Amino acid sequence: MERKWFRPADLILLAAAAAVCLALLFWQHSTGDADCTAVIEQDGQELRRISLSALTQEERIELGGEYHVVLLAEPGAISFLSSDCPDQICVHTGKLTKPGQAAVCLPARISVRLEGKSESGADATTG
Amino acid sequence: MHHGTRSAARLVAGTGLLGALALVLSLLESALPPVTALPPGAKLGLSNIAVLYAVQCLGGFPAVCVALVKGVFAGLTRGGAAFIMSTSGGLLSTAVMTLFSRSKRPSFGLLGLGVAGGVAHNLGQLLAACLITTQAAVWYAPLLIGFGVLFGAVTGTILRVTMPAIKRLLPPSAGATAGGPHMPPRPGKGRGEVK
Repeated sequence: MERKWFRPADLILLAAAAAVCLALLFWQHSTGDADCTAVIEQDGQELRRISLSALTQEERIELGGEYHVVLLAEPGAISFLSSDCPDQICVHTGKLTKPGQAAVCLPARISVRLEGKSESGADATTG
Repeated sequence: MHHGTRSAARLVAGTGLLGALALVLSLLESALPPVTALPPGAKLGLSNIAVLYAVQCLGGFPAVCVALVKGVFAGLTRGGAAFIMSTSGGLLSTAVMTLFSRSKRPSFGLLGLGVAGGVAHNLGQLLAACLITTQAAVWYAPLLIGFGVLFGAVTGTILRVTMPAIKRLLPPSAGATAGGPHMPPRPGKGRGEVK
């Protein structure tokens, strides 16, 4: 009655877990590029939230404060286009395209991060 | 049936022993040097060994008790969030392992039970994390499933290897294991099977 270490049925479990895992990864990969929202914050306060997947054309966002910062939002990506700040790290960070990525301009205390669009009510939008 | 009182005592004592074992294993695990390459939330889950053994030899309810003991201990030592995370993972994992261990056709091995328990544990935690923090935690799911499989396989294997030692600690009741050895193997007597 002692349970063995391995039974053939274990393979079903392993295969099922691997399949779910791969399917999720694939789903994230295919939607991750487009389906995300950029959150722009200054001094820790949210200024704007832009759905990058819903954008159809480029948009420049100018932010004031201590330094003059210009963000460039385009379909599926957002980046710091220019900034007056001394170190230019934010500009060099380049384009953000995937949820979880972030760019920060520390001198201007402006941050941009991308969130996965899991909180929106709609699963999909059809034209 | 005539062993009713005795087996009730055995159940309580066994649950207590395995609960204590789970706590020691969690302590042992927290004493291991942290591996920085692992993502947050990926833990070996050694104490699942005790839970899986409880599922295996005592039944579903005692195993739930062991999982609760574990959760309360995590709460006492690491705060309320740890209690919620540990308990949600532990309960789902215990439920899944109990369900799978009862399945006769197909019948799963310890490897499969460990994997199922590991994945269920991580998904239970993910669910709790989504409820108490942000739904963005869902993005962790593939990673957590992957590590659940890996570490679940490890705990299932460790249980298989250490089964003789735990059996000595908690001999199965004579009635429950027809065909099994009635006496636990004594240290020093060798492992030869008595026919």
